[in-house]
Amino acid sequence: MIGKAVFWIVVLLIIVGGLGACLSNSLIYAVLFLLLLMGSVGGLYVYLGSPFLGMMQILIYLGAVGILLVFSVMLAGPFWFKPKERGGFLKIGIGFVLGLGVILVLWKGISEYEIRIGPERVSQVDKLGKLLLTEYALPFELVSLLIVISIIGAIMLGILGRKKEEKDALE
Amino acid sequence: MPWNDPRIFQLLSLFLLGCGLMGLISRRTFLGMLISFELILNGAGLNLMTVDRFFHQDLPRGEAFTLFIMGVAASETAVVLAIMILLFRRYKTIEEEKLRGLKG
Repeated sequence: MIGKAVFWIVVLLIIVGGLGACLSNSLIYAVLFLLLLMGSVGGLYVYLGSPFLGMMQILIYLGAVGILLVFSVMLAGPFWFKPKERGGFLKIGIGFVLGLGVILVLWKGISEYEIRIGPERVSQVDKLGKLLLTEYALPFELVSLLIVISIIGAIMLGILGRKKEEKDALE
Repeated sequence: MPWNDPRIFQLLSLFLLGCGLMGLISRRTFLGMLISFELILNGAGLNLMTVDRFFHQDLPRGEAFTLFIMGVAASETAVVLAIMILLFRRYKTIEEEKLRGLKG
């Protein structure tokens, strides 16, 4: 009973977060709605039988990506320049039609499948670890390499983007 | 139990995809577009997990790929934010319509 109520609350939070993140007019509110949505998706992973991925979602998305987004919204400081957040009516219309169209078309494709519901799944972290280190070892290493390269690239962009006097002050 | 029905999860991930597409087209700043892209990636991860849970039983391959998506999304966010701060320093704006340097 409580599990059912919590499930519907999580679904409601995802809908609110999605609508808020794509419709809100201020960037910082959009980021906050996005954080709400990411946490709720982590809750849904728990209901899908994988608490490990739920925790990873909270750790990576809320902890790393969310903090990065909030800091960059505050550091880039577009607030006192007040850029217009929305495009014209044409852009909004195209976006709305495209989003709704993709949802309807894909939903038509999905809903024709017959539903097979397997047995209740318990957490499979041991199998996941073995899978990552045997069959998917190459993608795993590639993702690690990608993360290292992107960290170095971000640092280099930050250093190369400085003006000369700032560089001199650093040295 | 409602969480034994894959349609709810698939409809939610479709909803995230639609919201992300709409935001990606209608927003004007790079940060807003990045936020919408995160929406799309979350929807993709949710969809992979759903397919893994309901239609595929032996090994948790969907979980592995959801983990990969998380890693790629984190590194992509770091790079895009660095580029955006660089652009903001140089051009004093992050609106995509005012950054016309690549249009020739």
